[in-house]
Amino acid sequence: MGISMRALKRQLNVLRAVAVVTYKEWSAYRTHSMVSILVGPVYFIVQYFIWTALFKGRTEINGMDLNQMITYFGASTLIGYLTMDFADWNLQMLIRTGKFLTFALRPIHHRFFALSRKLGHRFLGLIFEFIPCYIIFSVLFKAPLMPAHIGWTVLSVALAFLMVFYIHYILGMTAFWFTQASGIRRVFDLLSGIFSGVYIPLVFFPQWLQKALFFMPFPYMSYVPVMVFTGNFTLAGVRIDIPVIVGIQAFMVIITILFSEILYRASMRRFNGVGA
Amino acid sequence: MIRYLKIYKECIKVDFATASTYRLNFFLNCIIMLLGDIFFPLITVLIYGSGAGFEGWTVYEVLLIQSVFTMSTAIADMTFHGIMWATMDLVRNGGMEMVLILPVDTMFILMARTFSFEGIGLFAGGAAIFTIAILNIPAPSVWEWLQFLAFFISGLFVIMGIGLIMAAISFKWVGNSRIPEIFDCIRSFGKYPQSVFPKAILVFTSFLIPIAMIAYCPAAALLGRGNMTMFLMILPCVIFLLFGIFLYKYMVRLYQGVGG
Repeated sequence: MGISMRALKRQLNVLRAVAVVTYKEWSAYRTHSMVSILVGPVYFIVQYFIWTALFKGRTEINGMDLNQMITYFGASTLIGYLTMDFADWNLQMLIRTGKFLTFALRPIHHRFFALSRKLGHRFLGLIFEFIPCYIIFSVLFKAPLMPAHIGWTVLSVALAFLMVFYIHYILGMTAFWFTQASGIRRVFDLLSGIFSGVYIPLVFFPQWLQKALFFMPFPYMSYVPVMVFTGNFTLAGVRIDIPVIVGIQAFMVIITILFSEILYRASMRRFNGVGA
Repeated sequence: MIRYLKIYKECIKVDFATASTYRLNFFLNCIIMLLGDIFFPLITVLIYGSGAGFEGWTVYEVLLIQSVFTMSTAIADMTFHGIMWATMDLVRNGGMEMVLILPVDTMFILMARTFSFEGIGLFAGGAAIFTIAILNIPAPSVWEWLQFLAFFISGLFVIMGIGLIMAAISFKWVGNSRIPEIFDCIRSFGKYPQSVFPKAILVFTSFLIPIAMIAYCPAAALLGRGNMTMFLMILPCVIFLLFGIFLYKYMVRLYQGVGG
């Protein structure tokens, strides 16, 4: 018990140290993050006017009213800042250049290292993207951006954070098999943009596709936390209670973590340390 | 002039040779761009499929705007848009000096060198949706087609102007890979019927940064909705491009080297 507690404490210390260093490192490039202060509100303005025009003379479209739609896009943008990830790009670069070897020799699992870095990086996102954009959306556009259930929302966003990370890490591991895996990344980015509900709520898709999406990782990356934020979850005509959908999201995250571990072990058997 | 045309021709040949060598990568990227392109109008189809829509605009009319936008973007990607990425990269890694010592215009050579056939997938997708849309609206007259052409070219001026301004910014804002996002977000106003935006934004998208000219005005011309204001908007488009060229050349003159 004493040993496992010590090991856990050590892991937490490593996590904190890597996250703090990443935060400091990326703080030098904080203007990268601050681009979102312009980009986020501009996209939001576009969505705001488009949906306002679409709702002219209508009270609801696909079961959502205008306020819900504005909240949906505002929350989707904000949650995106907290969950954004590029572990796939990093890992693929390390594998291709052969630099992954240095990580394979370190007394720290690379995936844990990458997760710690993401924590530091997204903390920066919280300060320079999430908070300023939240203020702009709420004060300037009067967008109703108070989560319906704050506890469930925080939990769902945390699960989405993990889901996005593990999915991207799995994508990164494809580089152990393919010399140039950037095409796979691009295909995935396209699919996740479509099926995670970033561009349009998933309730706009045909029923059969909405049903299929329950079994894919995409909705758990953005649509689920956003709908938990709004306080109503509906997909494929099924209305699910918030605690239940967060439970399903947690289950999907566990499945993804297990798959990531299996793939990591297979990757290590294949890794030759030379690069490509 | 002939010398510059020869250089441009050589650059096209080099890109063709590259695409031929890495055929699979080329086709994959073309397909990905094509699929990505198809999805964007799909949102419009989904919205109209749900019974909603923009007042006064049928689904084919909106698709027409979006397909023109896609075709403009594809032409820009193939011919001159690469200067933005190339400048960003060269300034960051210090390679700009190698371009500056070449006995040709810096702006021209960067545009020529970044010519890319990969945008052809995007153009094909845009052209396909354009054809579907055009077949479902009343046939435009010759005069409307001429208006379309004039507005379409003016729209390309705007895209080039924005690209050059963004490239110029990268001389000072070194290594910020998110500069193109600013470009994309500004352009996003141009993908929809301008009637959905309030007057203040219309002034911005018509005269300040005439984004409406990229897709809305050419599509409006084909729909018989072209008007005198749109013709007047050609002037800000030309001014915008000239400003982009001036700013880029000015930043090249200020450039001190060494990367960042």
